[in-house]
Amino acid sequence: MYSKSAFPPLPREFSGRWNHKRYSVIRPLGQGANGAVYLATQAGRKLAVKIGTDPLDLLMEVNMLKSVQQVRDVKIGPLLCDVDDLLIDGKPCTFYSMEYLEGERLDRYAGRVGREWVPVLAVQLLTRLEILHAQGWVFGDLKPENVIVTHGDKQVRLVDFGGVTKKGNAVRQFTEEYDRGGWQAGDRRAEASYDLFSLAVITIRLMTPDEQWKKFTREGRTVARLCDIIRENDGLYPYRMPLLKALQGIYKDAAAMKRDMVTAIRLRSSSGRKKERGSAAGMVLGGLFVASLLTLAGTLYCFWF
Amino acid sequence: MKQPTLRQILLVTDGCSNAGISPVAAASLAREQGITVNVIGVIDRHEMGEQGEREIREIAEAGGGLSDIVYPTQLAQTVQMLTRKAMTRTIHQVVNKELKDILGDSTLERLEPEKRVQVAGMVDELGERSSMEVVMLVDTSASMKTKLPAVQQAIHDFSISLRSRSGESRMAVCSFPGKHQHLDVRIPWTDQVEKAHQLTGSLAVSGITPTGPAIVEAIALFEHVSLPAPLADRYRRESGQRAEDDSEGYLEDHVF
Repeated sequence: MYSKSAFPPLPREFSGRWNHKRYSVIRPLGQGANGAVYLATQAGRKLAVKIGTDPLDLLMEVNMLKSVQQVRDVKIGPLLCDVDDLLIDGKPCTFYSMEYLEGERLDRYAGRVGREWVPVLAVQLLTRLEILHAQGWVFGDLKPENVIVTHGDKQVRLVDFGGVTKKGNAVRQFTEEYDRGGWQAGDRRAEASYDLFSLAVITIRLMTPDEQWKKFTREGRTVARLCDIIRENDGLYPYRMPLLKALQGIYKDAAAMKRDMVTAIRLRSSSGRKKERGSAAGMVLGGLFVASLLTLAGTLYCFWF
Repeated sequence: MKQPTLRQILLVTDGCSNAGISPVAAASLAREQGITVNVIGVIDRHEMGEQGEREIREIAEAGGGLSDIVYPTQLAQTVQMLTRKAMTRTIHQVVNKELKDILGDSTLERLEPEKRVQVAGMVDELGERSSMEVVMLVDTSASMKTKLPAVQQAIHDFSISLRSRSGESRMAVCSFPGKHQHLDVRIPWTDQVEKAHQLTGSLAVSGITPTGPAIVEAIALFEHVSLPAPLADRYRRESGQRAEDDSEGYLEDHVF
């Protein structure tokens, strides 16, 4: 059996075998490694329907969606609506439906509205992560493709719960480019700092031009490379402290990183653009990077600037 | 429910076997002894022919495992994904069997979706806590040479994943063809592989690819299988007490 067996296309109209809800498919929304998502209507409302290659994988995802409790004021992900089977060519196929989030993927959104939005979006993400972590879960597969900025209220929402993992277990699903293990910065045990690492890489990635990102990561992924990018990027430099601490796994929870990010945003908007940055500071920073890598000297170096 | 021990052989190759017992037969043999065989084909461009692809698929089918054909850059992630999927499948089968014992002819697919979601959660948790033993079996015949850095990276990466699990995990790495036998144990059972392990040195540059015999010999590494005395001496001493038994330069050999 191939691990990537193709899944059959969804019929235009179908009903669930157990709950008898009737769906009309409008269009495909996207396809991932383990499933496809379609936009559909059911009883007059728009929903997203997901079918997967492996029914058990899909059910595990549903289990996570159900387990993560949504908080009233801050929505984390889509609400689960229905789990059922449909018949495709006489064969039962499991699907689930969820709230359809109308919006834009994080990377496309940031590309359109401008890079200076990225730290604000990162703070929004940290609020969601904080809630998720408090409930004992880690998101795992945090990447721009799994974050939607909704039209209208401009709130970030997490989609694709395939990587959501109980704290202490091994992360169920991840993407190398944002994975702590892939950057040789630690293991894949689900803990708050795993998500915070991914968030720091996302922040750096979204504020770095594609060309530069490719150039920097061509020779392998290490935290030292990420430090180089931060040092050379005026947009990232003001956020060096929270980013570095997240990359080094110093933060134990999302709240602490959020505080530091908010502080950095405030400082940045109250002081002039490039004022704080001189070549001497850059050199000091370079030395400190080495020192911090050598000694892992905790947070002390942050107060040198 | 009893925590199962999951045993897997992960074969990494780029072509057809051409010596000894059929690898498909060898994979069936492994499966009979409770070992799942997964296969990853590594390709540079379009070099894997129809025959190679078919063999890879057939080995995995016979071995009750999964297969995939990928480029070297995708290897690390594929190793992790395939192993995890195969693990889930094995546990799924165990759970299905238990369900049958309890509910008669009922299988997971016959339960209502809400109940199935609960079972899926249980399978997930069982998978995380179960013990896992994986032998990575790397084809080091001449054509694999350019792909070995990626294989090396994947081995290291896989050890990070194993280390992150809650259940006990260990892995071993073998290469074939071996110097004197069909297979050499390059990294004996361990729960941590350092990045420094070099696969590229002291390669047996050889035209033969004894995939089948290598699978048969890899089975011998799993200690739940009882072995005829001469075989047990050959493999288990080698991986267990190599320090005392270093007459053939074994230590140099496995840091390759």
